[in-house]
Amino acid sequence: MRVASGPVLRELLAREWRERYQGSLLGAGWLALMPLAQLAVLAFVFGTLLPARGSAGALPYPMFLALGLFPWLLFANAVNRGVTAYLDNAGLIARVPLPASIYVHARVLASVAVDLGALLLVLVVLAAFGLRFDAAGALAAAVGLGVLVAMALALARIAALLQVFVRDLAAAVGQLLGLGFFLAPVLYERAQLPAPTAAALGWNPLVAPLEAIRRGLSGQGELPWGALLASAAAAALLLAGSVMLQRRAGRHLEDFL
Amino acid sequence: MSAGLLGRDADVLVRAEGLGKRYPVVGSRGDRLAALGRLLTGRGAAREVEVLAGIDLCVRRGQSLGVIGENGAGKSTLLKLVTGTLTPSAGRVETRARVGALLELGAGFHPEHSGRDNVRMAAAIHGLSGDALAAKLPEIEAFAGIGRYIDEPVKHYSSGMVVRLGFAVIAATRPDLLITDEVLAVGDEQFQKKCVRWIDGYLADGGTLLLVSHSLYHVQKLCREAIWLKSGRIEAAGDAHDVTRRYQAWLEQRDAGEREASAARAGGDEMRVLRLALDGREGTTAEPATGEALRVEVDLHSRDERPPRLSLGLLRADGTPVYGVDTAMDGVEAVPLGAGRFAFRCVFENLPLLPGEYVLRAFPMDAEGLRLFPPAEARVRVRGKTREFGLVRLPHRWEAP
Repeated sequence: MRVASGPVLRELLAREWRERYQGSLLGAGWLALMPLAQLAVLAFVFGTLLPARGSAGALPYPMFLALGLFPWLLFANAVNRGVTAYLDNAGLIARVPLPASIYVHARVLASVAVDLGALLLVLVVLAAFGLRFDAAGALAAAVGLGVLVAMALALARIAALLQVFVRDLAAAVGQLLGLGFFLAPVLYERAQLPAPTAAALGWNPLVAPLEAIRRGLSGQGELPWGALLASAAAAALLLAGSVMLQRRAGRHLEDFL
Repeated sequence: MSAGLLGRDADVLVRAEGLGKRYPVVGSRGDRLAALGRLLTGRGAAREVEVLAGIDLCVRRGQSLGVIGENGAGKSTLLKLVTGTLTPSAGRVETRARVGALLELGAGFHPEHSGRDNVRMAAAIHGLSGDALAAKLPEIEAFAGIGRYIDEPVKHYSSGMVVRLGFAVIAATRPDLLITDEVLAVGDEQFQKKCVRWIDGYLADGGTLLLVSHSLYHVQKLCREAIWLKSGRIEAAGDAHDVTRRYQAWLEQRDAGEREASAARAGGDEMRVLRLALDGREGTTAEPATGEALRVEVDLHSRDERPPRLSLGLLRADGTPVYGVDTAMDGVEAVPLGAGRFAFRCVFENLPLLPGEYVLRAFPMDAEGLRLFPPAEARVRVRGKTREFGLVRLPHRWEAP
């Protein structure tokens, strides 16, 4: 029996959308309100309450932080939402013959769509406060976002599958993402760190896309094309690994749900 | 999907060869992790339970095949393998059809989402979306007949309402192959009739049905062929009436065995019938005529040698009770024969039974009349010709008005 995946993926995305906003007073209004509120909090705390500059150069720290934080949230939310995709859809998996990975893809895509919208909205606001970038910077940021999404998709696929066998994994992923937040240059610039530490963090494949996005959109600092290429290769490897894992362990997935 | 197993005959919709399924045992904490390790290294699970083995099956277009068997026989697993939601552990199965499946009393509805949202998802799964779905939605709502509940979360539905909605989607999409698992066991009688009528029409229009049901009536009514699964293997296959009859006979035999075992566990040897004779003969059918006498002789054994009571019951062959009496009612004592044996003799004078087949049961009872022990029974064929109705001839007279 074959089921057309396209219409089902569309319905799954619509379902994700409803799950987020159904029943809330503002509904989809949260889509705009949430990032704007987060941005306002950042501006108030780091602009007025605790004025901080870090090594953001000429960039105001709230702007520096926003250009790192929102891309990071896009990555972390996508992984977090994807981890429980198989368990949450066990009822459908048991009754509908679809490639199981479609459930992870729907989760990740829906999450990325929402956070991408938030990032674009934030960029519009930041542009009103003087943020400027050129075509090369925009391209670097777009590639960086693409690498982050690919990496989130690969990690979500791997984590969702392992979660079926190791039910503690969802909690561990939450903690690991918390640790990852501090090991990635979201709150700080790597140049602030001691040279050996900064070099060691360079091995983190999330660093290059985050730096490419921030530098590309702020027009400050050299665009890390080489490191970005390496991160893209790492994301491709992770995706290939997730496909192999799915072929091996995912063959009898329904037996363990 | 390769065309190898299905062959070139376009009318073959499902074919299975040597199909088997083993489920991994994941009861203890470390089982899942161990299973993951074995899957990654290309080995099967360490502990498995086999639920289906060696199934060969061919379903052709227009065929209606019932799948019967006890709980745990592998019926639902077979349907899931055919539908493709389970991966076989052995053998192969291929399907060439647009399948509509209602497995495990549902269509994969999400409890947190409304009926309407779930219908949209189910319709997308069956290839309906956009305008096509919008056109079908009123038909689906009308068939389901759940009114305003269509916009309520499915978690608020009864199991009958879930099946109504699932069946309504299937009815609207008219699949090439309809697979249903115990759908007709849920829901009220009116909806069951509606479903049966729809399936009748679907089959008359050339539809193909794979039906799992414990209702042998539904299997006989809707299916031309049937297979009987027993402990994961095909025990019988062929004409639906023949297969269901064989299964029914096996069920009755099994139940009788269980009743005897249960009676023995309940203390059947504490008080038991040693001998039951009608008109002086044991083990044969008594054949008195209406109005003649029927002599009943019963010997009982009482383990603690306390005098038992005896209860006699007469039933028509179809189980309708006719008459019952016990020794305590009539103030009769058992006659001791020694070594725990006791004898009773009873005569039904002028037997008023109308001609037909009857059963006489003799139940031992304890001295207090509180416990009834397993009975012995004998057949009674009342001879005679009459145009009277009923069970007994009641003394009567006609009077002049």
